Amino acid sequence: MSALLIDDISVEFGRFRAIDRLSLAIDYGEIRGVIGPNGAGKTTVLDVVSGITRPKAGRVVLDGGLEITRASETLIARSGVRRKFQKPSVFDALTAAENVAVGVEGRLRRTAPAAEVRRRALDLLDAVGLADEADRQAGEFSHGQKQWLEIAMVLGGDPKVLLLDEPVAGLSDEETEKTAALVRSLKRPDRAIVVVEHDMGFVETIADRVTVLHEGRTLFEGSMAGARADARVIEVYLGR
Amino acid sequence: MIRSLLGSSGGTGFSLTLAALAVTAALLVATLAGVGPSGFLVNIIGQLAAFALLALALDLIWGYLGILSLGHGLFFAIGGYVMAMHLLMHSFETTGTVPDFMQFMGWKEFPAYWAGLGVFPYALAVALVLAGVVALVTGWVSFRSRVGGVYFAIITQALVYAAMLLMFRNDTGFGGNNGMTGFSVIFGLRMGTETASAVLALASVVVLALGLVATRALVSGRLGRLMLATRDDEVRLRSLGYDTIVLKTGVWVVSALLAAIAGMLYVPQVGIVNPRILSPELSLEIAVWVAIGGRGHLVGAVIGAVLVNALKFWLSFAAPDVWPFILSALIVLVVLVFPNGLLDLSRGFGALKARMRREGVASLDPRRAGP
Amino acid sequence: MLRIAAVLIGLIFATAAGAAPLERDPTLRGLCGNAAASGEAADRLLSATPTLSPDDLAFADAAIGGLLSKKLVCPAAPTDPVALKADTGAVDLATGAPLAALPKGKAPVVSLKNRAKFERLAAALALLAAPNAAARAAALEVLAKSAADVPADLFAAAAGREPDPALAARISSVADLASLYGTDIDKRVAAVARLAEGENRRVLTEIEALRADPAYASEPAFAAAVDAAAAKVSGAIAIGNAAATLYNGLSFASILFMASIGLAIIFGLMGVINLAQGEFIMIGAYVTYVVQEGLRALLPGLLDWYLVIAIPFAFLVTALIGIALEASLIRHLYRRPLMSLLATWAVSLFLINLVRVGFGTQNLQMETPFYITGGIAIVGDFIMTWNRLFAIGFAALTLAGTWFLIRRSGIGLDIRAVTQNRDMAGCIGIPTRRVDMLAFGFGSGLAGLAGLALSPIYNVNPQMGTNFIIDSFMVVVLGGVGSIAGTVIAALGIGQINVLIEPIWGAVAAKVIVLALIIAFLQWRPEGFFTVAGRRK
Repeated sequence: MSALLIDDISVEFGRFRAIDRLSLAIDYGEIRGVIGPNGAGKTTVLDVVSGITRPKAGRVVLDGGLEITRASETLIARSGVRRKFQKPSVFDALTAAENVAVGVEGRLRRTAPAAEVRRRALDLLDAVGLADEADRQAGEFSHGQKQWLEIAMVLGGDPKVLLLDEPVAGLSDEETEKTAALVRSLKRPDRAIVVVEHDMGFVETIADRVTVLHEGRTLFEGSMAGARADARVIEVYLGR
Repeated sequence: MIRSLLGSSGGTGFSLTLAALAVTAALLVATLAGVGPSGFLVNIIGQLAAFALLALALDLIWGYLGILSLGHGLFFAIGGYVMAMHLLMHSFETTGTVPDFMQFMGWKEFPAYWAGLGVFPYALAVALVLAGVVALVTGWVSFRSRVGGVYFAIITQALVYAAMLLMFRNDTGFGGNNGMTGFSVIFGLRMGTETASAVLALASVVVLALGLVATRALVSGRLGRLMLATRDDEVRLRSLGYDTIVLKTGVWVVSALLAAIAGMLYVPQVGIVNPRILSPELSLEIAVWVAIGGRGHLVGAVIGAVLVNALKFWLSFAAPDVWPFILSALIVLVVLVFPNGLLDLSRGFGALKARMRREGVASLDPRRAGP
Repeated sequence: MLRIAAVLIGLIFATAAGAAPLERDPTLRGLCGNAAASGEAADRLLSATPTLSPDDLAFADAAIGGLLSKKLVCPAAPTDPVALKADTGAVDLATGAPLAALPKGKAPVVSLKNRAKFERLAAALALLAAPNAAARAAALEVLAKSAADVPADLFAAAAGREPDPALAARISSVADLASLYGTDIDKRVAAVARLAEGENRRVLTEIEALRADPAYASEPAFAAAVDAAAAKVSGAIAIGNAAATLYNGLSFASILFMASIGLAIIFGLMGVINLAQGEFIMIGAYVTYVVQEGLRALLPGLLDWYLVIAIPFAFLVTALIGIALEASLIRHLYRRPLMSLLATWAVSLFLINLVRVGFGTQNLQMETPFYITGGIAIVGDFIMTWNRLFAIGFAALTLAGTWFLIRRSGIGLDIRAVTQNRDMAGCIGIPTRRVDMLAFGFGSGLAGLAGLALSPIYNVNPQMGTNFIIDSFMVVVLGGVGSIAGTVIAALGIGQINVLIEPIWGAVAAKVIVLALIIAFLQWRPEGFFTVAGRRK
């Protein structure tokens, strides 16, 4: 039973086919790396899963039964999917703790006492290494801090499916390493993690399996070592 | 002075504004006792308070949700027209004289749907329900289909424009071009007397104070944070499980209700309502008051509305032809030099110049200058 | 003998040609007779009028004129000539020779019964021979009242020699009416068919009135002709009405298009809605006015061509104002589209009041040059008016020019590149700020041209622009941001819908319904018709 099943989806932007009959199955307890050159459709896949883009055909199924293909972002999020966007998306006008609290609550209606929410938010900030910055405004954060803050925010929802879109883009080597450790620590038997990245080295450190996308289709699926050895993958990455 | 008035999170500005409103209210009470300001000034105070409430309504959605409405005159007019109907009916019921309006419309008696409007609580309920329903439908339909930003602004302007055209027609049934006027009695008081003016102005100031307290409670709490989050990045918030459509529609309705109440306070003080209340220019001006006062600051919206309109009242007597030029100059000044309105002024010119050198004029303060 | 034969042949020929000379004396004696005799003479004279020579016409005119003005003298002695009193003395009417003395006799009195007959006769003569057109037209109106009693060939003859085409046409239509209500069924059928050639509402009313005619019930041929004619005319009217609606919609769409294309380009490029776009239209119209007044003062001979001469001025002045606006204000607002709404509104407020101070609030007097006066009747009641055609043609030229600039020129390529991806365009060396400025100037200039095209058909005053911005934005929303084809189609759609709804529910309802349709449309396609969806950046 897959945590996340992407079944034969196609996405078109005008006449451009961004995703072409793509299928992917990701299991609980797995960290899946999705790599591919620019324009391969990596971010678009995440857009489909999180409900931002509607596919022309195909379906997305959660947890072996719940179909979310045409559901709203809100509904998809409430079924346990969380996504960190490529461009760090935090709420600049709120403090770090408030940002994470927004992630923890996840509903307009108050679900837990404010003190409890804040305690949980501080725990998460601690986990991503931002405990000291809890009451600073997010707008003042550096790029890296925003990346981690957003990860803390999405973790607040305790996701079953976690989608990370380029979590180390624009980070220094040191920050990348720190992020890799963080992502590895998020692995749980009841959670599937999808990481979209350019950085092959980063993916190799964290991913159990990788999927290589090219022009909206799956080019390769298997271990990172396998991908590195695959002739077609080499051609796509190096041959152009 | 301005700095402390607007002082953001500390709340001193808020307290000072409330204190100012309390002093004004006290003066109006003095008028009732026969020792306060004169009738004309009282009337101006009352109108300014109604405009300030209207600005508050717009700031709630523009400053905190990032949704600019260029059609808030619609809700203002709903309140105004219902209030006018109430006043006509009430005047008719108390004095028995047939208002000119009915003769003008060629009516022998009030149509059936006017029944009961002479009773104020019912009229209030009608205005609120009407404004609420219109807001609910327009908001839900727009936000559901992700209409926002410039699109929403212009569509709301088109709405208010269409409503104006509709009300200009005589057969729409609300007085057409002439509108409704000739109100003689309000709450059993003769209109135009010092007492009636003072009561109306007092009511406006008190309602404004209540509105300020209520909206502040709303924006400084949890929902306020979610509103700011929606303004900063709505997709992010939706992908965390929040139904932002409900949030936006809800705040939109609250804002519409405030605007309708402002309209109900405004119309008896000017003694007339006609389709010009629905002109796109008025709705745009509301946004200008808020921009000048400082978006995202409730107190700023109030001060902006009061200052701009006080200036307008004064110039309308002193130099009526100059006013449009002053207004456009004010707008350009606010847009180019003080993107956060009086708030920037309160921060002092030194800091401003340093910022301009550092970041260029366009992004004076990315956090607040937002959309 | 030969001479007699020659005269006889001449007479036959003359008769065959319809130009038998009038026997003047018997005619005059008849006129002088009793009521029956004079009536008979009048009838004979009337039926002869179409074939009379100019000489005889002049004679008949003098005789009838004299009779009606009581200057005719019928002699007591049958041998004396019938005379006409002149200012001094008298003339022998039959020969035109002056008479030494007025013969003894009296002026005949036209009996009441014959009065109408003689007036008709006088009118017939005037129609054929009166020297001025007004007199002929007046005579025709007299004849039209009793057209059935006038010989049909009189009208044909009159129409044939009438120099004024409008009057000639009117004579023919009176003639048709005469044969239409005549007694000869064949002629009536033919007249119905001729009548049906004028395909308009008035003709249809006339044809349908014939259904009440007794002949409609008694003569199947007549009934069939009337029915066929009614069907033909009402068909043509239906087509004409449809064409007129389309034409009006097209001309409205042209104006919408010109008002919105600049807006669409600017919005697509910078995400800025220029609320002062309507005021650029107004400025364009005022520039056109200034050019008109300038020509009036300096080159009055070219006054009629002011609409053409003003083209570069209207474009350049508004374009320069646009460029100045972009450089001073708009460029600081790209990241704050909502503030740009307020800023451009301030500009519109400023421009309106500036023009108000400079020119006053009244409507300007624009000339209507000959090339946009009148129109050409196409079918049914549809008249293709030149002023609307001017607007349509102007819009078509604007479209062609815009298309060429955007699709075929270097700056157009830059504009498209910056519209699609500003950052990338900047990276490959396109001067995005310069492109913005030029595009803004171009979009503003197009609005100026819209003002020029509007000036002869619209009220030109400082407020004229305010009505356009909402409609134009609707066009941009519907067409998709920054798409020329989308703007054209949306303008056509909104133009036609407005024109279709207006006659049914009124202009206000049309506006409200269009707005409702657009909001409904946004539910279905928030990006407009022609914008391609992309992924979240």
